[in-house]
Amino acid sequence: MDAIEDQIAVFCKSVTKSYVTGPTKVMALRGVDLEVRTGELIMLVGPSGCGKTTLISVVAGILDHDDGECLVFKQDLRGMGQTKKTRYRGQNVGFVFQAYNLLPTLTALENVSVPLLILKVPRSEAQSRARALLVQVGLEDRLYALPAQLSGGQQQRVAIARALIHGPKLIVCDEPTSALDAETGQRVMEVLRNAALSSERALIIVTHDNRIFNFADRIARMEDGRIVSVESQVAH
Amino acid sequence: MYSIALKMLIGDRGKYLGIIMGLTFASLLITQQSSIFTGLMTRTYGAITDLSQPDIWVMDPKVQFIDDIKPLQDTELFRIRSVEGVEWAVPLYKGLLKARLEDGNYQICNVFGLDDATLIGGPPYMIEGKLSDLRQQDAVIVNDVGARTRLAKPPKVPGAKPEPLKIGDILEINDRRAVVVGICRVSRTFQSQPVIFTTYSRATTFAPKERKLLSFVLVKAKQGENLKDLSARIRERTDLAAYTAQEFKDLTYNYFMKNTGIPINFGIAVGLGFFIGTAIAGQTFYNFTLENIRYFGTLKAMGATNGVLLRMILLQALVVGALGYGLGVGGASLFGYLLGGTELAFRLTKDLLMFSGAAICLIIVLSALISIRKVMKLEPAIVFKA
Repeated sequence: MDAIEDQIAVFCKSVTKSYVTGPTKVMALRGVDLEVRTGELIMLVGPSGCGKTTLISVVAGILDHDDGECLVFKQDLRGMGQTKKTRYRGQNVGFVFQAYNLLPTLTALENVSVPLLILKVPRSEAQSRARALLVQVGLEDRLYALPAQLSGGQQQRVAIARALIHGPKLIVCDEPTSALDAETGQRVMEVLRNAALSSERALIIVTHDNRIFNFADRIARMEDGRIVSVESQVAH
Repeated sequence: MYSIALKMLIGDRGKYLGIIMGLTFASLLITQQSSIFTGLMTRTYGAITDLSQPDIWVMDPKVQFIDDIKPLQDTELFRIRSVEGVEWAVPLYKGLLKARLEDGNYQICNVFGLDDATLIGGPPYMIEGKLSDLRQQDAVIVNDVGARTRLAKPPKVPGAKPEPLKIGDILEINDRRAVVVGICRVSRTFQSQPVIFTTYSRATTFAPKERKLLSFVLVKAKQGENLKDLSARIRERTDLAAYTAQEFKDLTYNYFMKNTGIPINFGIAVGLGFFIGTAIAGQTFYNFTLENIRYFGTLKAMGATNGVLLRMILLQALVVGALGYGLGVGGASLFGYLLGGTELAFRLTKDLLMFSGAAICLIIVLSALISIRKVMKLEPAIVFKA
């Protein structure tokens, strides 16, 4: 029983989240139940505005949920102060964004080093680890390129390396392939799956892109703030 | 993280230069205008600075500043000499008199009449001739700037430069003959008139006939005498005003501060520099932060605390502030250096450097505060917005 519990990376039970804009209250999550295990790549799919991004924001400790229970590696992030939660994210969560969000004035090597610098790892060590990771994602010849000098696929690979460098237990990706063509998207997903997924780590990917569904272990469909179905995929 | 902050700042070259330009402009304007103001105000009491020998200046109680001459009776000199604690007391004539130039023009000059016996109150630095030459008949000593400019003789060849007044040249002061026996250097006066030194008795012959001609009595205190006590004693015994040199400078300075438009005019220029600098630098810095807000959000999502982001923004502000301040102060110094030999009153003191430094600090703090507020309130969820 303990072994199964140890495998649970994310546990959400009846999670609700609402936004208040002026007099209007919008229910973004209406009682979400979700379990994500370590070593698992789960995709959240569903129409725009169904609450996918809100859910990964709650799971990643960016937003606080209103009600219900949300444990990430057995920790309830809602009870933490902002600074503690920010530090928690820095140590345990990696992010891959739709628009990459690479700092435009930093080279690929420097961009990948950023999470380690936030964790106060010495610069030389951070850059050495970043270099190794960039080699792993196939960018050994683009170490000193600025984001503007990289293609979309290369930028997303830099972003993946950045999400991995500090060894987070959870990686959340928001539409990682939506700005890429089909072939580049497939390649990026291969990199993500091969480099990121491990038995100690869980991956949650929000996507609309059905071309990459085959990379998921499970696909959770969301509608109107709820998870309406969870389908397991055939083994890869 | 600090290197990231700097790369973010320097990477956006347009904004980086824009912020520095704003701060440089503010620093330049604040420093330059303050230096001119200080230079002008220093000139108001330049004559007091030059006359370093006396400890105390005695004058009519109604005198408000050094050029506000309200003459005393000559007998006041003897009353002052009799006050206990006075080592010596000498008369000083100071007045504005008309000198007739060789070409027939008239020029108002600041004439000092020094004690005939001791010549106390003479110029601090002689370029040509000796102070004792004043003992010659009709002798006067003229300051170098006056000799070169307003008292200069007309050129011998049309279109050439006027010839500076030299030793041996003759002037007419109030229809009296005056022979130049020396050229001296003095602090520039507020009105930049030529300065002429002569003996007290000769000055009184130059001056229009008046019942009283004694402008000031210069007093030296006996060794160990408390100057404040001696001033009080002179005031008590003579009913005249007695000030130490510093008090008289302050009196003059305060008169110009209160009764002229100089502080307001320069204050407006300095204030304008401050506000324009704040507006340009603040606006550009804020725009820079806004354009980078997604990246600040990304850093926040990746674990950078508000404290780290705060320090990054402060570092960015500090760097542009230091550069802008340095360039502005450098520009102002260069301005002062290049125009050093002219009529321009320019005095850049350590206090002024600190003043403009404080002003630039305030500008960058104000500029950074707006950006810091934005970043502190930033929800890291912004990173998920396309």
